[in-house]
Amino acid sequence: MEDVGRQDNHKEEIMGIRKYAVIGAMALAGVSMFGLSAKAEDVKLTVWSLDRDIQPAPHLVADFNKLNNGIQIEYRQIQFDDVVSEAMRAYSTGQAPDIIAIDNPEHALFSSRGAFLDLTDMISKSTVIKPENYFPGPLKSVEWDGKYYGVPKATNTIALYYNKDMFKAKGLDPNKPPQTWDELVEDARKLTDPAANVYGLAFSAKANEEGTFQFLPWAQMGGGSYENINSEGAVKALTVWKTIMDEKLASPDTLTRGQWDSTGTFNSGNAAMAISGPWELDRMSQEAKFDWGVTLLPVPQEGAERSSAMGDFNWAIFASTKHPEEAFKALEFFASQDDKMFKNYGQLPARSDIAIPATGQALKDAGLQVFLEQLKYAKPRGPHPEWPKISKAIQDAIQAALTGQSSPKDALDQAADKIKAVLG
Amino acid sequence: MKRLLSSIRDGNGFDIVLVAFPLGFLFLMAGLPLLYNILMSFQEVDMFSLGTFLRPFVGFKNYQDLFSQPETWPILGNTAIFVTGSIAGQFLIGFGLALFFWVNFPGASWLRGLFLVSWVMPGLVVGAIWNWILSGDFGVLNFMLRETGIISGNIFWRSDPNYSLYAVIIANIWLGTAFNMILLSVGLASIPGDLYEAAELDGANAWQRFWTITLPMMRSTIGAIVSLGLIFTLQQFDLFAAITSGGPNNSSNVTQYWAWDLSFRQYDFAKGATISVIMIVFVMFASVVYVRSTRHEVRG
Repeated sequence: MEDVGRQDNHKEEIMGIRKYAVIGAMALAGVSMFGLSAKAEDVKLTVWSLDRDIQPAPHLVADFNKLNNGIQIEYRQIQFDDVVSEAMRAYSTGQAPDIIAIDNPEHALFSSRGAFLDLTDMISKSTVIKPENYFPGPLKSVEWDGKYYGVPKATNTIALYYNKDMFKAKGLDPNKPPQTWDELVEDARKLTDPAANVYGLAFSAKANEEGTFQFLPWAQMGGGSYENINSEGAVKALTVWKTIMDEKLASPDTLTRGQWDSTGTFNSGNAAMAISGPWELDRMSQEAKFDWGVTLLPVPQEGAERSSAMGDFNWAIFASTKHPEEAFKALEFFASQDDKMFKNYGQLPARSDIAIPATGQALKDAGLQVFLEQLKYAKPRGPHPEWPKISKAIQDAIQAALTGQSSPKDALDQAADKIKAVLG
Repeated sequence: MKRLLSSIRDGNGFDIVLVAFPLGFLFLMAGLPLLYNILMSFQEVDMFSLGTFLRPFVGFKNYQDLFSQPETWPILGNTAIFVTGSIAGQFLIGFGLALFFWVNFPGASWLRGLFLVSWVMPGLVVGAIWNWILSGDFGVLNFMLRETGIISGNIFWRSDPNYSLYAVIIANIWLGTAFNMILLSVGLASIPGDLYEAAELDGANAWQRFWTITLPMMRSTIGAIVSLGLIFTLQQFDLFAAITSGGPNNSSNVTQYWAWDLSFRQYDFAKGATISVIMIVFVMFASVVYVRSTRHEVRG
């Protein structure tokens, strides 16, 4: 209670600065004279995120602190693997931070349990954060029960990279990348060249979230979804994957390799196409010694519904915060800096109202445009509080089918049973 | 009061203090966590009830659920293969090396020390290195096997369900061999030399000396190594995380990795605890066998 009272005094003080410049100047003098005591009156917030020093969060926090608006943020970096377990532990022992950056499929886990603050009212009054400015996919991932429990921090998706030089060498039109699944398999067959150590395609079917991230868009394009994972289209999608693996159009290590390592083989010229996200653009611009392009993820047949994965983190405020207003102010500040995100940190803001300026690197800019287009079709994983279990069922199905231990249909039927048990 | 004090200083009281102190320490640092783990395996635990102690009690439901899962028995089987394969490999190669260095050629003890380098390295680093060695398309191992004509096509050590478990076993054998060798060397050094002299005078050949002197005299060392090996291999987690992540399709999954995966990837802490309890039962069983096998030991 004491804290709240102090904070109210402070708010009045700030309003005073705005209204009466003279009093404001005196107040400022007071602050400088009694620097220490003024500092003690600052509202202190803590922010946890996985961003390293070259990524947005620490810079956003530093810039925010420079505003000297009576709110000071303390930043703590946590490792990717520890985000959820640290947050859970902290929340259940009453030591949660005020603000956290959380991976979007895990968001519902916290909001469904009331661990995150309902921001719906604050967002409706906000002049900075407006739901209509966000891409629908990322926005949906912060929703639970029709209310907003967070703000998308950044977003990403996957599309198809392809090596134009290899297309030319194999007599394919470098300006006509595959648009359908059949074309993708057909092109991959032509591009695969075991003698030259070249696979047609590189992607990831690893038994972790990455595998789900890569497969779910295919299932969704085929008319499936995580609730309906054994639909005909999803079975067809997995069958196409199995064809690619069985014919060795992709390295067998696809089963155990993540997206970053898989795309590495594309950059080194050992794969002619690769499915991955915009986080590869920077590395590829530096490493790839060939002409490359990006195209939308191929669809089951021409004119079919598009879909893609949706990745990256959301901001959320813990329900246990003592300073909800100030924490939301911090989120508003973070959102106000979204327009600099791509230029400074190479990340895509989850916003449809921000035009990203060109970087001057032709390949990178062209690729970026494709990813922005692809983002329109990006769908969140879930949202569902038990997402990790749903995801695990899908990963198991992918691996069982691709290793030949069960047919795609049986594998997905089994996954559907497991998911049904989770959904209840 | 005075009696009590003097008893503590020199008497039964002192013995009780001596026993109570380590017992208390063990109870606090090992017993309580163990009991907590067993308790969790009978409860319904989710991440938001992690901080509390009294959670809904579900009896044997976690155990029943676990054994109704199709992957449970294969994973237990993998664990058995991993443990026996690793221990056998580590022990045989370690014993061979120990006997080799026992010959005591110039620089033998120095070289033996160098072998420990593999054991000193952190598991994740070893895992990352083996990850490259075992890589399918550009792995060093495949290259060597191909050049020597042993295989014609690449073996996808990490991604082929027929090989993935053995890939981790190979890495683990490499990791644990040096430790086995050092312990066995210590055991060999403690065998009195006159035993061999006597046997030689009686006309025993090298093989007979090995069977009738070396092996029996090494019995307790071997017992200790095998039981330590069991503990170390059941603790081996880093290599799985670095090389196969238990995949593909659980073909290289073992209980210790699975317990972690359930607890910290799927946040099913109760099932993670349940697997740990099953592992504890196995380790206890093995320790009893070990203790019994070395009880009637006669040392020379």
